[in-house]
Amino acid sequence: MNGPGFIFWGLFAACGLILVGYALWMWWTER
Amino acid sequence: MTVQTGVFAAYFVVVFAIGWISLRRTASDEDYWIAGGDLGWFVGGATLAATHTSAGTFVGTIGVMYTAGWSFGWVLLSIPLAYWFVAAVLAPRFTRVRQLTLPAFIEARYYSKRVRGLAAAIVLVATVVYIQAQIVAGGLVANIVFGLPVQQGMVLFTLVLLAYTVVGGMVAVVYTDAFQLVVMCLGAALALPLTVRQVDGWGRLFELVESAQPTVFAWGTLPATLLFTMGLAFFLGSVATPEKLIRLYAMKDMPTIRRGVFFAVVVVTCLNLTVFLMALGAIVLFPNLPTGDLAMPMVATAVLPPALGAMMLAAITAAMMSTVDSLLIVAGSALSVDLYQNLVDPDASPRRRAWVDRTGIVVVGLVPLVLLLSGVGEGELVQFIVLLFTALMAASFALPVVGGVLWRRATREGAASAMVGGVLSTFAWEVFGSEAIDPVLPGIIVSAVLFVGVSLATPPPPAAAVAPYFERDPKPDGSRG
Repeated sequence: MNGPGFIFWGLFAACGLILVGYALWMWWTER
Repeated sequence: MTVQTGVFAAYFVVVFAIGWISLRRTASDEDYWIAGGDLGWFVGGATLAATHTSAGTFVGTIGVMYTAGWSFGWVLLSIPLAYWFVAAVLAPRFTRVRQLTLPAFIEARYYSKRVRGLAAAIVLVATVVYIQAQIVAGGLVANIVFGLPVQQGMVLFTLVLLAYTVVGGMVAVVYTDAFQLVVMCLGAALALPLTVRQVDGWGRLFELVESAQPTVFAWGTLPATLLFTMGLAFFLGSVATPEKLIRLYAMKDMPTIRRGVFFAVVVVTCLNLTVFLMALGAIVLFPNLPTGDLAMPMVATAVLPPALGAMMLAAITAAMMSTVDSLLIVAGSALSVDLYQNLVDPDASPRRRAWVDRTGIVVVGLVPLVLLLSGVGEGELVQFIVLLFTALMAASFALPVVGGVLWRRATREGAASAMVGGVLSTFAWEVFGSEAIDPVLPGIIVSAVLFVGVSLATPPPPAAAVAPYFERDPKPDGSRG
């Protein structure tokens, strides 16, 4: 993927990944 | 205009009602400054998200996006990372002793009333500048909604804010914040699909954006150094600004903080992404605005049907008010609790303290308004004032706060010089330095060098001061400082 596609959807994907990471960490901390 | 006035009237009525109901729940100092310290994850997270989201997001971010293009959007990544760091590393240590204000934490950890006074003075000055930027944006919105001259709009905006903040303190602030967050989410969620439809649908959005402004999806419209250092400023600003730190004291316990911060970060990220997409719509629909700050008001007034447009403007107003009310609390507490009661009148009666608390908030609300009306600090792009405030706060408090709970050897002299050095170097860079680097970078470097160097050169801190933050054993018992 290049150009607008990358710079645009890449940001969404990266935000999503961080939030999933946080959720997994929270689950792991409280399990 | 009648629909707009109606939506705003309903919105203000709800905010005032919450403010006055809160009055009954503000019996103690603790209620007034940290909402009793027993908020659950929903209200705690909502107030954090609403405080984070300001005119900086709804007017400023879309403005920068409009002018500089999508590459600015990547700065957003620093925000969820920062809040994760807060929940995982900072909060468990920072909240071991519950305080009413950030400078009170500084006194407890750094065993010095004077260093606390210094912290309060920095908070006070920086916050007043930030409140000013938001009042300017408030005046612009009032100008669009009610057709008032901008100056009268600024006065109206400030008075509305003061009315419920002074009366209900932090209790009023957190519940109005929760309500305002709902208004923001509704406004953004309803406005986005309509804006995109106006542009001809998702399919052709990229194409149209690129033909309207070919540089939108190009790297390099902002220098890479600026993007990275702005990211650093957003990161540190999410970690070390007093209006966010104080919300950790307002939440009940660590599980609540983990959930609340998660909730906040999901909402903040989604709101920002929605706003980014609306910036794309604005580029296609209004390619030739004189300043990016007008993009969102234009979308609200010229694209959306009147009721929805009013909803969007209410969302912008909600974003501003929910940030400024929190800053009024921070600045008011710095003035009343940390400066007046701490240094001038430590033996005041509860009744007198209650009066001083409220007077402090009125003062910190009126000073920026008076400055503005006399022509000081108008006309800056809102987002850059937000960035300067964030940089100042981050450079002065990141080390004393984060370093203070992670490094036992940090001393009061180290903390004081880190704060002063951070502020001065940030400010000096803003005035004299290169524009390709956010002033937070030089600020934080100077602050860190002073924090470590001066701490090592001065006698170690007394065991009693650091024990609460480093001994594993004494469980947080909810004791209040």
